[in-house]
Amino acid sequence: MECSFALTGKDYVLVAADTTSARSIIKMKVDEDKIKTLSPHLLMAYSGEPGDTVQFAEYIERNIRLYHIRNLYPLRPQSAASWIRRALAESLRSRQSYTVNLLVGGFDTADKTPHLYWIDYLGTMATVPFAAHGYGSYFASSLLDRYHNPDGTLEEGLDALRRAIDETAKRLVVSPGKYTVKVVDKDGVRVIDL
Amino acid sequence: MPDMSVLAGPQQHQFNPYAENGGTILAIAGADFTVVAGDTRQSEGYSIQTRYAPKVFRLTDRAVLAVNGFAADGNMFVKKVKQRLEWYRHAHAKDMPLRAIARLIQTMLYAQRFFPYYVYNILGGIEEDGSGAVYSFDPVGSYEREACRAAGAAQSLVQPFLDNQIYFKNQTAAPGQSHPTHLPLSDVLSIVIDSFTSATERHIEVGDGLEIYIVLAKGRSLQGVEGLRGLREMSSREDGERVFVLQRELKKD
Amino acid sequence: MSIMDHNGGSVIAMAGKDCVAIASDLRLGAGAQTIAMNFEKVFPVTDRLYMGLPGLATDVITLREKFRYLTNMFHIKESRPLQPSTFAHLLSSTLYERRFGPYFCEPVLAGLELTPSGTYQPYIAGTDLIGCLNFAKDFIVAGTASDKLFGVAEGLWEPDLGPEDLFETISQTLLNSVDRDAYSGWGAIVHVITADKVVTRTLKGRMD
Repeated sequence: MECSFALTGKDYVLVAADTTSARSIIKMKVDEDKIKTLSPHLLMAYSGEPGDTVQFAEYIERNIRLYHIRNLYPLRPQSAASWIRRALAESLRSRQSYTVNLLVGGFDTADKTPHLYWIDYLGTMATVPFAAHGYGSYFASSLLDRYHNPDGTLEEGLDALRRAIDETAKRLVVSPGKYTVKVVDKDGVRVIDL
Repeated sequence: MPDMSVLAGPQQHQFNPYAENGGTILAIAGADFTVVAGDTRQSEGYSIQTRYAPKVFRLTDRAVLAVNGFAADGNMFVKKVKQRLEWYRHAHAKDMPLRAIARLIQTMLYAQRFFPYYVYNILGGIEEDGSGAVYSFDPVGSYEREACRAAGAAQSLVQPFLDNQIYFKNQTAAPGQSHPTHLPLSDVLSIVIDSFTSATERHIEVGDGLEIYIVLAKGRSLQGVEGLRGLREMSSREDGERVFVLQRELKKD
Repeated sequence: MSIMDHNGGSVIAMAGKDCVAIASDLRLGAGAQTIAMNFEKVFPVTDRLYMGLPGLATDVITLREKFRYLTNMFHIKESRPLQPSTFAHLLSSTLYERRFGPYFCEPVLAGLELTPSGTYQPYIAGTDLIGCLNFAKDFIVAGTASDKLFGVAEGLWEPDLGPEDLFETISQTLLNSVDRDAYSGWGAIVHVITADKVVTRTLKGRMD
């Protein structure tokens, strides 16, 4: 089943999402990247109803890009998260709503701080030090409660993330096999090989 | 249009053997006394069946039982407990100790595990060592000894208030001091009366009258009950534990 | 489980002597799972009016944004202070607009109303999710611990409390109530509003 994790550290945000694309009980694809780079310092991991996810993520991606092109500067993470949340909240009360859960992580280049937002398909948004969606959240939230350090180095952050991923692999019957891991910091977005 | 619904299929009737009759009970243990109280309103839905249906009963000179939930089950259960206590008296020529009554109630409740008495019980009284005790039960007999407990319709209103006023939860004692483990009787009576006036104010199933049973340990002075208006003694003798009942009016709306 | 209970959370407001207080817990959950312990549900409307929004968290955020917009528009158009009683009716009509597809929030207001003589008078109010106003003179409660809050507040509150005593009363009421509610708690925040200032304090609470 789909799992996504994210955590903040000293001047960075780590975002991880599994790479399986499933329909019912069948794995259709095992190398899907479910983390979009919305702007140079903004990441969004998405999961939920197949179809809705990609449609919604691309809609967000292009609107954030449009803002960047029009204004010559990108939306800051707080503003981007607020806008994305509103898109979901308005969708919720429409005839066909998007069933998409998000983790939005970004680095604010203006005040040099990392930001992470937990957003669900209802349009609920929480500012958090670490977050998870899917069945993996039951393992990740308790592990990260214990091992997360908001001032930790990237290595420390990766260790905590590894714990969450390893525990999910060990204890979850329907655990995903592979994850993409991305980090965003002052230098922008990078893919990390765990 | 004639009623054709009978033709749709066999008609089924369902008998519900339970009802919920509202009301609230409450018990607080002191160092050498116990207070057990209950309101006297009995209701079903929005209707008041009676304004005086006691929910608190004297079992022995040292034990008082409060029952709340389905009144018919409650009354029958008290009747059976009293019967068992009388048999015990005939067999052993003494009253059953409080902790034994608590265990008896557990077995009696669990005996009905698959057709339970729909009743929450609170047993209060004096332990053999002379300390005040409260035992609270669920309908199938799980029980524990506590210092205070509320049950019934207004449990959710009263219990957090008791946590604060009896257990001093979320309160910090002044430096070098500690909270008392047991409160004096006069304070306990004030808290009980406040709890019920509050519950009456905010819960429609609570009101009409209040019956407060006070059990005093053997040899304890009457301090705290002296001069209370409308106090009635229920105990059979003056040289053992003593039981008093205090009646108060509650709002009737 | 009702939609109103999905995210958990509780709010309470109390009136005192020349002051009012409003407080909320800090939990945000998704059913039984706790997501965040920093989710405030009380927001400033004016310098002397605060609004608590317990209920479905998505609507908490949406309504907060909506009322920020509406109060800003009021100030621009009217260029006069927005009084609590005026805002209460704005709140009521805004919620009733969605009568058959409501926002799942039960707002609570606490503020000081300017009287013709130039003094400030305590003002608290609450509404249900479709905007039915409730003006109480003592206290207003809402959220998943509302039944507990009713019981404790009824026992602890008394008329004409000063700011410090009101703070203690509302804090004790909230903390002891949310400790008996699995869906509320994880700390609290309290605002005490007087004519010349607002004092905001964050409270530690049980984390279980």
